[in-house]
Amino acid sequence: MRRLIQCFFAVAMLAVTAGAAQAHPHVWIVAKSELIYAPDGSITGIRHAWTFDDMFSTYALQGIESKTKGVYTRDELKPLAQTNVESLKEYAFFTFAKAGGAGSQKKEKFNDPIDYYLEYKDSALTLHFTLPFKAPVKTPALALEVFDPSYFIDFQLNEKDPVTLVGAPATCKLSVQRPTDGSAQAQTMNEQTFLNGDNSNYGAMFANKITVDCP
Amino acid sequence: MDISRPMLKRLAIAGAVTLAVAGLADVLLHAAWAQNPFGAPKGAVAEPQVSGIIGWLLAKQSEFYLQMSKTIRAAKTDGSAVWALLGISFAYGVFHAAGPGHGKAVISSYLVANEETARRGIVLSFASALMQALMAIAIVGIGAAVLNVTAGQMCGAERVIEIASYGLIAAFGARLVWSKGGGFFRALRSWRGAPSPLVPAMAHAHGHDHAHHDHGHSHDTHERVPHDHAHAHHHDHNHPDHVHDEHCGHSHGPEPSALAGPGGWSRGLSAILTVGIRPCSGAILVLVFALAQGLFWAGVAATLLMGLGTAITVSAIAIIAVSAKGLASRMAAGRDGGGAILLRGIEFGAAALVLLFGTGLLLGYIGAERVTCF
Repeated sequence: MRRLIQCFFAVAMLAVTAGAAQAHPHVWIVAKSELIYAPDGSITGIRHAWTFDDMFSTYALQGIESKTKGVYTRDELKPLAQTNVESLKEYAFFTFAKAGGAGSQKKEKFNDPIDYYLEYKDSALTLHFTLPFKAPVKTPALALEVFDPSYFIDFQLNEKDPVTLVGAPATCKLSVQRPTDGSAQAQTMNEQTFLNGDNSNYGAMFANKITVDCP
Repeated sequence: MDISRPMLKRLAIAGAVTLAVAGLADVLLHAAWAQNPFGAPKGAVAEPQVSGIIGWLLAKQSEFYLQMSKTIRAAKTDGSAVWALLGISFAYGVFHAAGPGHGKAVISSYLVANEETARRGIVLSFASALMQALMAIAIVGIGAAVLNVTAGQMCGAERVIEIASYGLIAAFGARLVWSKGGGFFRALRSWRGAPSPLVPAMAHAHGHDHAHHDHGHSHDTHERVPHDHAHAHHHDHNHPDHVHDEHCGHSHGPEPSALAGPGGWSRGLSAILTVGIRPCSGAILVLVFALAQGLFWAGVAATLLMGLGTAITVSAIAIIAVSAKGLASRMAAGRDGGGAILLRGIEFGAAALVLLFGTGLLLGYIGAERVTCF
């Protein structure tokens, strides 16, 4: 009987791990972001530039007409950019912001994206868009995460200058934590994580964390 | 408990084969890249902070997937890169399926719910993987290559198919629950009503007989004839009014012999359709990409090999599922009334799992692989 139980435990394990292993990225995005500050030191929004991988870029361009083969103007890509930002809304733009010091953090919401366009260069599409905060955020500490909870998309911050502060007070300090940099807080993922955790959000383990402290 | 030993051995072999295939594919591919001038540098993939089997599976899948676009591009100028592409696609399939996505879970549950043989499990796995590949090829072939629709429009079609497939899973599960529920509750009733555990030694002897028959049963993966024989035997032994009567109920609706025979396939076909109707997003992406490079045929070949890889892994999972069930029946056979309950319960549970999967997917509680619509 014990062996039987063990056996079924093994099968259950397999089912659990298997379900988790299924969700793996199909789309890779290299992200660059700018935090836009108002003259009064509040943050008005985030400007993203997301570059898609080769395969997805090609896929997204399927059926899009262009005057010159292989060259797409911003105008020709307009409808696609529109679709992109519209569907990103469903996923909260994969951008999660919290304002306030530790203990008193508050989630900040965004308005619909503005100034969005697509750019095609070196066989890769880059989506530019600005996410304005519902109301400008004045906070000593802003924590920003960029990731896909279901890990269908893999977000990587750009190698060089992944995040820039535009018009921020000189005292503001920026720190960036990548899921791959092996820093102390980067979580390791193993079977335990999947058995304990909420599977639907395990993409959070691949989150890019950006914090700005303006004392 | 020497009865279970062959089964354990088989389990071990199945597991070992899976690992061996995966490992071999890995080694071969690394060798292939080393020789292929277009192979990407090894460090190209950022390795996430992952550990354990899952982490390894995730890392491998991403690695293979990323290699695909590079090899397709390379194939434009160097035909021999196609071989690397095929190898990568196959390996991707193997790893991708290492987690039973809903399709694999449905197949395994279906096999457990029904008294299915491992051989049929393998056939079902291959057939559904092939159908999945063909669906992807059909969608991209008609949608992109012939009609030149946009990715968004293709995606809309995928979404419709997705919902249809979830509906099919739910319906399939409901049907299984309906047919399995009867057996389970009958077993439960007669167990409650049975003068059970104190029944004389005779019942015990019967238990042993059972075990041996089941042993024969398990061999019918190779030949059907002894299967029928064993089963008939089963029946003869069983029908007198003793506690183990439910064991006979085993074979629910149609007799196993009928299942494996002609006509019995209709049920298997619905399993194939349920699982195979929804193409994998990865295959669609690869096909569209290959089409854009003017190498649609390479995409088709890659998709078929992905399917082959998937089928191998799913078969291994199916064999494990069937073996586990076989082990359970052997062990349950040695026990009185409760054993039958356990077995019927497992079958019922597996059937319920399919139903839950279907409804969960349909209502969005279970996140399946997302359709790429943005």
